[in-house]
Amino acid sequence: MEWEQLDLNPRIIAAVKKANFRSAKEILCVSGPDLQRLTRLSKTDVQRLHCSVAAVVRESKPVTALQLIRGECPVLEAGHRLSCACPVLDGLMRGGLPMLGITELAGESAAGKTQFCLQLCLSVQYPQEHGGLNSGAVYICTEDSFPIKRLRQLITQQPQLRPDLPPALIRSRRFSDNIYIEHAADLEALQACVSQRVPVLLKRGLVRLLVVDSVAALFRSEFQADEAVQRSRHLLAFSNILHRLSHEYGAPVVCVNQVTDVVDGPNPGRCDYGLVGSKVLPALGIAWANQVMVRLMLRRLPGQVQSDSRSSATRKLEVVFAPHLPRASCLCGVWEEGVRGIPDDHSDLQPQGSS
Amino acid sequence: MHRTVPSLPLAPSVKVKLINAGFQVASDLTDMRPLQLCKEAGISQEEAVEVLQMLRDDGQPHQQRAATESLTALDLLHQEQALGSIVTFCSALDNALGGGVPVGKTTEICGAPGVGKTQLCMQLAVDVQIPVCFGGLGGKALYIDTEGSFLVQRVVDMADAAVQHCTLLAEDTEQRQALEELTVEKILSNLFLVRCHDYVELLAEVYLLPDFISEHPEVRLVVIDSIAFPFRHDFEDLSQRTRLLNGLAQQLIQLATQHSLAVVLTNQMTTRVSNGQSKLVPALGESWGHAATQRLILHWEGLRRLASLYKSPSQMEATIQYQITVQGFRDAPEEPRPTSSSSAVSSPSENHSKRPRMEDLS
Repeated sequence: MEWEQLDLNPRIIAAVKKANFRSAKEILCVSGPDLQRLTRLSKTDVQRLHCSVAAVVRESKPVTALQLIRGECPVLEAGHRLSCACPVLDGLMRGGLPMLGITELAGESAAGKTQFCLQLCLSVQYPQEHGGLNSGAVYICTEDSFPIKRLRQLITQQPQLRPDLPPALIRSRRFSDNIYIEHAADLEALQACVSQRVPVLLKRGLVRLLVVDSVAALFRSEFQADEAVQRSRHLLAFSNILHRLSHEYGAPVVCVNQVTDVVDGPNPGRCDYGLVGSKVLPALGIAWANQVMVRLMLRRLPGQVQSDSRSSATRKLEVVFAPHLPRASCLCGVWEEGVRGIPDDHSDLQPQGSS
Repeated sequence: MHRTVPSLPLAPSVKVKLINAGFQVASDLTDMRPLQLCKEAGISQEEAVEVLQMLRDDGQPHQQRAATESLTALDLLHQEQALGSIVTFCSALDNALGGGVPVGKTTEICGAPGVGKTQLCMQLAVDVQIPVCFGGLGGKALYIDTEGSFLVQRVVDMADAAVQHCTLLAEDTEQRQALEELTVEKILSNLFLVRCHDYVELLAEVYLLPDFISEHPEVRLVVIDSIAFPFRHDFEDLSQRTRLLNGLAQQLIQLATQHSLAVVLTNQMTTRVSNGQSKLVPALGESWGHAATQRLILHWEGLRRLASLYKSPSQMEATIQYQITVQGFRDAPEEPRPTSSSSAVSSPSENHSKRPRMEDLS
């Protein structure tokens, strides 16, 4: 750190250099009295030093919420969301996925999580006025190999899914070229991918959506039951990288999670997130839940839903928690063209025992 | 002046040189000239000027300060009552807290993800702005967001509901006049947001808070949501983390008392295994439990959301129910309960007090 750039008395700067401080972080992490002792400066000098170093570290001054809503600070508040490619689902999410932060999609196997993620990978490629981000997506597979056939099917069926878009726009998109697929077989590979390769793609603007399918697989398999502390530490480090990437590049991060069975009844040592009567809960515990900003659950329900005389098994997409969304859910189905929600006035009143 | 040299606010090296030169008490220094002091004590000319300057500033007001420094308890009580508190719009919680979130103290809100900590913080950031004639503080708020969970769309909902609530309450002309100025835009313009991406940025922000408050003296609430997030990874040395957190807590309580504002911190929950049983406890360790003046724990009990006042110097421990609606943080809907004919003090007190009531035992 260049100490000369600070607006301070040269005497203070000399004392700082003599005490061997290299970076702003070191100064800020030392308390006032300790700094006095190390640099032999007076109390007021140390206060001035702390303030000027802090001013260098803090990049921007506080902004008002009014400026945010007016779109004057796009870094802090983008003002738009990533559309889920279905108006019913977008309505549930009040516009779509938020730009910053980790959105989790938890559910049993065959619930439709991968389908939803593939749909997002296509939705992100449209321009902003149509709910996309005009950029590609990175899809990290940790469980099965990437469903390339299904992706091709979804691409050909895009006009059916998005009748609101001009066909010329859909035809002009080279969808497959903009989806970068990574396979991570173990945690080390996953860390390497997320800390080295993904930032390069983000920096070049080639992608603006990161999908991890799934987070649970590797963390649950590589740690034994009694290694909970180590698992937490790795999980926190991993989610921290995702969080930083999301905030630095304004890219939504979607993490697919598995679920665990609830064998005993309500347990005060385990947080249920208000999901009473649910037989499954999202995996990876509270350590992971603390890192997630929006938690969605996708469940399969008995029965079928119809759309244009085609039927699909019923699914329910539920918002478990989100800072800007109420607890709500909607029914949806998976068809050839993708996941579509069923518009229903009573979508959040579910008959008891349906999950 | 009988102040001894070691107690003066000077750099330790300067003090050592003064003492070695034979200056024991502040009055020994008062008649010295800078050059004289320089030669006798062996300090630089700048330092000598500083010492004498400091003594001159210290001299006069010191006696005056000594006279006013002692306050009676009655004065303190008046002062505390004058500070006021910030309502949460959940009357049960306001009652349990003794009026609302107190100004001049630090309050910690702990809870599992999704239980409503950020909602409560956003609600407080809106409620602090309610005009004085409606019973609020008419102040501004600073929201320090470390998780990125501050979504302004939600604040707009809450601000809208607050304005509507006040519109319904407006009775006299003063209130109606204040209501004309109370718009959603005004509420949004009085809410400042800072986003900190790691703990170094958070530390920097807290060092800059006194300057910010001096520039914006109407700020009555500082929210840090959450203080746990940046401190829960990245720390190989937990003792450094404890030291930094303690330092932060001290700075924040100093800020709260000196500038008469309420500081609200949110904390996460973690699992602790003891005796083969696991339970959810607030994160950041045992020593952090002493940091805040008051501690509120939000938790789920089935479908109900409950808030427990866990630690407070002035209020009783209590657990109340709340809910989150489109309008924000509110009271839970009244449940129809079967009236019992046995005890005279029945429904309202059940939720509030855990202390056994002496009358029932007779």
